[in-house]
Amino acid sequence: MHAMTAGRYKVMINEEKVILMTKLASYESNEGKKNIQIVNYFRGDYIGFQVLKSVIAATVSFFVLFAVYAFYNFEQLMQDIYKMDLLEYGKSIVILYLCTVGGYGVISYILCNIKYSKAKSSLKHYYNNLKKLSSMYDK
Amino acid sequence: MTTLLVAKQYIKSFISKYEVYLKPLMKLILALAALMMINGKIGYMQRIDSISIVLIVALMCSFMPANFIIFVAAAFTILHLYALSLECAAVTLVLFVVMFLLYFRFSPKDTLVVLLTPMCFILKIPYVMPLAMGLLGTPTSAVSVGCGVVVSYTIGYVADNATALSAMDAEDIATKFRFIIDGLIDNKQMVLTIAAFAVTIIIVYVVRRMAIDHAWTIAIIAGALADVMILLVGELMFDTNVSIAGIIIGTAFSVLIAKAVEFFAFYVDYSRTEKVQFEDDEYYYYVKAVPKITVAAPSKTVKRINSSKKKYSGGQSKK
Repeated sequence: MHAMTAGRYKVMINEEKVILMTKLASYESNEGKKNIQIVNYFRGDYIGFQVLKSVIAATVSFFVLFAVYAFYNFEQLMQDIYKMDLLEYGKSIVILYLCTVGGYGVISYILCNIKYSKAKSSLKHYYNNLKKLSSMYDK
Repeated sequence: MTTLLVAKQYIKSFISKYEVYLKPLMKLILALAALMMINGKIGYMQRIDSISIVLIVALMCSFMPANFIIFVAAAFTILHLYALSLECAAVTLVLFVVMFLLYFRFSPKDTLVVLLTPMCFILKIPYVMPLAMGLLGTPTSAVSVGCGVVVSYTIGYVADNATALSAMDAEDIATKFRFIIDGLIDNKQMVLTIAAFAVTIIIVYVVRRMAIDHAWTIAIIAGALADVMILLVGELMFDTNVSIAGIIIGTAFSVLIAKAVEFFAFYVDYSRTEKVQFEDDEYYYYVKAVPKITVAAPSKTVKRINSSKKKYSGGQSKK
């Protein structure tokens, strides 16, 4: 209907196009902002990058928590340090570290996969409108 | 009922009209309340325990994204605890760092819960958090609320034992450290609260999504009852020294607040006035899109949006 009035009065501005562009611009600046950022990456790149971030976050958290644990048991550790098998102790810590980081990495891999798929499907409508807009220019 | 609907309509149009001013105002109020509560509860550092600093920081928060309030509140907490003892600040810092690195990276929307839960604890109505998050969030919000509970019990524990901590020998860092950690780990009441809140959130969420009449109201009541039951049974089993009257009165208040949340929740997704700028080859466009105010029931509005979307894609496929 807007387009019709536009046509009748020979307005230079194509109303339908403006409405479409307004919708696109408002989506881009609101809920679409994050999704567009995510989909700018390839799936593999996005997930890889996020998992890398998760591994770093998990490493930092592990060391911080281990420091707290070590400090909590400081006296005990100092007493036992000559008695215990340090190699064995170190090995168990490394295994624990790998388990933590691995587990967290897998969880974040799954979550990022879901996030990427969600972003992609929510952008479908946006892409449709974009196509529509570009077809208007082709006319 | 009609007056309620009219009120809803009025609130909706009011919010969409003045959103530009309301949003910073709400952030300002939230930041102000949070910082004043922190100062009231653990105001050990004299320098930041003044209303002028709180006002300046809160004003700053009103222009920043909502999650900035969390960082400011966390910074205030750690600074105050640092003034009390270095160990307290260290333990709290570790708690915050691990929480934000591991959990809130994935659910940035829930981050505000970590701030709101301790605030509700101070107001003696923590039971509103699981009800509200069950209504508004997903089952994973249980973890967010759990984090909030841990933070509030940590702050509460430090505040309760402040004199003991400051009386301890400053040299004996390890003892202080162990005292704080022991207090946190052995806190049965905290574990019980986390469990009760998690169960409540899941119950509220499941019931709210059922296809029954008044699902939201039933969800609130079922969640509140489950919460009270678990807390009372836990009190009997572990002897956690919580006041039974406090639980019941607090829950009753929380139910009322949850009803208010329900009232507003339908309007979280209100359409608002948009100001957008873009350009094409010929023009620059400065568009102000003002939503049409309809008096239809909210569910109908939702349907209308969906059907118009379908029309769009249908028209598209023809081309």
